Amino acid sequence: MTAMNRAAARNRKIRVLMAKVGLDGHDVGARVVARGLLDAGMEVIYTGLRRTTEEIVRAAIEEDVDWVGISILSGAHGTLLPKVRRMLDEQGASDIRIIAGGVIPQEDIPELEAQGVSRVFLSGTAIAEIVDYLVRETPDA
Amino acid sequence: MNMKPRDMFVPVPDEAGDIGAQAERWKAQRFDPQADAEREASSFVTDVGIPIKPLYTPADLERIGFDYLKDLGFPGEYPFTRGDRPGMNRSDPFVISAYSGFGDAEACNKRFRKLIDIGTEQILVALDLPTQCGYDSDHEMATAEIGNVGVAIDTLADMELLFDGIPADSIKRIGTLGNSIGPIVLALYAALGEKQGIAWDRYTVNLQNDPLKEYIARGTQILPPAPAAKLAADAVEWCIDNAPNWSPMTVCVNHINAGGAGSSMGTAIALSNVRYYVDLLLARGRSIDDVAPLLHMFPDERHDFFISVANLRGLRRIWARMMKETYGATKAEAMACRTTVYGHGQEALAEPLNNIARTAFGTLAYVLGGASYVYLAGYDEAVSTPNENSARVALRTLQVLANEHGFRDTIDPLGGSYYVETLTAEVERQILDGMAEIERLGGALAVISTGYGRRVMTEGAVRRQRAIDSGVRPWVTVNKYPQKPDVPNSAFRGDKQAAERQLARLARVKAERDAKRVAAALAEVDRASAENRNVTPAVLEAVRAYATVGEIVDIWRRRFGTFVPSTDF
Repeated sequence: MTAMNRAAARNRKIRVLMAKVGLDGHDVGARVVARGLLDAGMEVIYTGLRRTTEEIVRAAIEEDVDWVGISILSGAHGTLLPKVRRMLDEQGASDIRIIAGGVIPQEDIPELEAQGVSRVFLSGTAIAEIVDYLVRETPDA
Repeated sequence: MNMKPRDMFVPVPDEAGDIGAQAERWKAQRFDPQADAEREASSFVTDVGIPIKPLYTPADLERIGFDYLKDLGFPGEYPFTRGDRPGMNRSDPFVISAYSGFGDAEACNKRFRKLIDIGTEQILVALDLPTQCGYDSDHEMATAEIGNVGVAIDTLADMELLFDGIPADSIKRIGTLGNSIGPIVLALYAALGEKQGIAWDRYTVNLQNDPLKEYIARGTQILPPAPAAKLAADAVEWCIDNAPNWSPMTVCVNHINAGGAGSSMGTAIALSNVRYYVDLLLARGRSIDDVAPLLHMFPDERHDFFISVANLRGLRRIWARMMKETYGATKAEAMACRTTVYGHGQEALAEPLNNIARTAFGTLAYVLGGASYVYLAGYDEAVSTPNENSARVALRTLQVLANEHGFRDTIDPLGGSYYVETLTAEVERQILDGMAEIERLGGALAVISTGYGRRVMTEGAVRRQRAIDSGVRPWVTVNKYPQKPDVPNSAFRGDKQAAERQLARLARVKAERDAKRVAAALAEVDRASAENRNVTPAVLEAVRAYATVGEIVDIWRRRFGTFVPSTDF
């Protein structure tokens, strides 16, 4: 069974909040991934541009998502991604995990992972690879 | 049809009428279309959707009704297909340009001096996101963003430092993007000249100042589209009266194409935006002959070399006909579409040095297509703002294109090619169809308000992603010849103290400026905005008084409201 089929066959659909944080205005990548996850049978909510970390954390908890996918191309990932992780943990939402994509230098990835970002997908990643990862890593409800 | 000189196209005169039939015969007997189809036939469809034939002949020119005098004419003459100026690159080479900015003005000034030292003729300042979005460096939204994607500019004091030792008239053009803060960046450059004691007619400022595409493509929008376009038009109008040698608006295809629309639909949307801005200025009683020469276009095509050439040539033809036939322009400068381009290819994260080849080929298409102002992306732009080395290589690549290989020896070298003329006509048709569709929709603002623009872009981006995922669009090191071994990718970072220096300078300027003068100037900006007057004179006075970018934009936020981004995808 392909990842796409497995995603569709789950008891509870995987829920993902796709988010843009800070002033970064490039959201094509976020929208393409959002479409891809939707096509794979997941439930996807998109925050729209220019959200604060507070707004993202609130939306993630209210929407009861499994994942927050943050797309960031502004170079502010080192500050903003760990901040979202910390705020989720502080609000008792440690089960909500974070994936990230956009323009993130390879050399920054170990530090982001140490700070609790589950996985960084660099540009050029096939959508199927992201779907596969989420299906594999989301506990079946 | 009028095709001269005939023998240029027709090697066997007595079979001239049968070229189409001969081409079909050749294809069936010799070329083997079956094998062609079994090969990577799908990759012979361009990003804009035009399929490419194995061979183009005079029969194609006949099919498109090619007419030399009507369709091409001569460089610098209507319809400007072969070039916006008579001598083009042969007598007046394209302007070697750099888009640069990071950190604070102090750090950035050092980079500018180095770029000029090695031959940069035009610098467009990359602003950081807080500046572009109208937030001062001490605003909460600026956290972690100061100096990241460009240099932080809060007040005129930053501009003075940024151009310290660089007189405004020492290079061909200076400028910036400032799409959502057009009158403010215009005022900053006007006040810079005053500070340096250089009259406005002795230097040239180029601005992007194209807010409409931000709403669908680039994302620095602040206000709703209509007031944003009004402010952009204010900047253009001020230049008509005070600095007609400046180019205060560059209408962009670039971001719309990159975001997924494709270069033909991107051009259609951009030209519809041109029409919106032009109509605003004509409604103020300005003449098209005064307005059009101040506008530039920023075409873009990164996937297909020959489509890129066709796009530039087709764009010039459409612009000329639009200005003459729709708007009644009479001056050649109003009908000649000047173009700024930024050379890209499909840059990859993997093995970044390969991007030098990609961007060079992408830029060569623009040079052969006759672009006037040429920038070239740094090989590391897929991962960060360019480091000093990549900025230098980008400049050197432009110098190679301008000086070696003979690329600029003759004007419009690809003109007359069966292939390129056919593509030019096909691309032109796509653009005109797109413009007609947008017209039916209600014009430029409807592209934003109906969600049409976003939809076109998302669908295009999804299509591109599928083409990459499936391998239909080959991409070296990404879906073909995967990189072995892993080549590390490192990002340029400005010094960590830039943000601290910027915050300290902003605090010092605020403490030392004449608070009364600032308050009076800001009150006048508010009045001009409320009374629907041109805000530029009031903004210039506020900038001279060291009002901050954020203080001026806050007035507009209160007056016009803010744009609420869509959550559709």
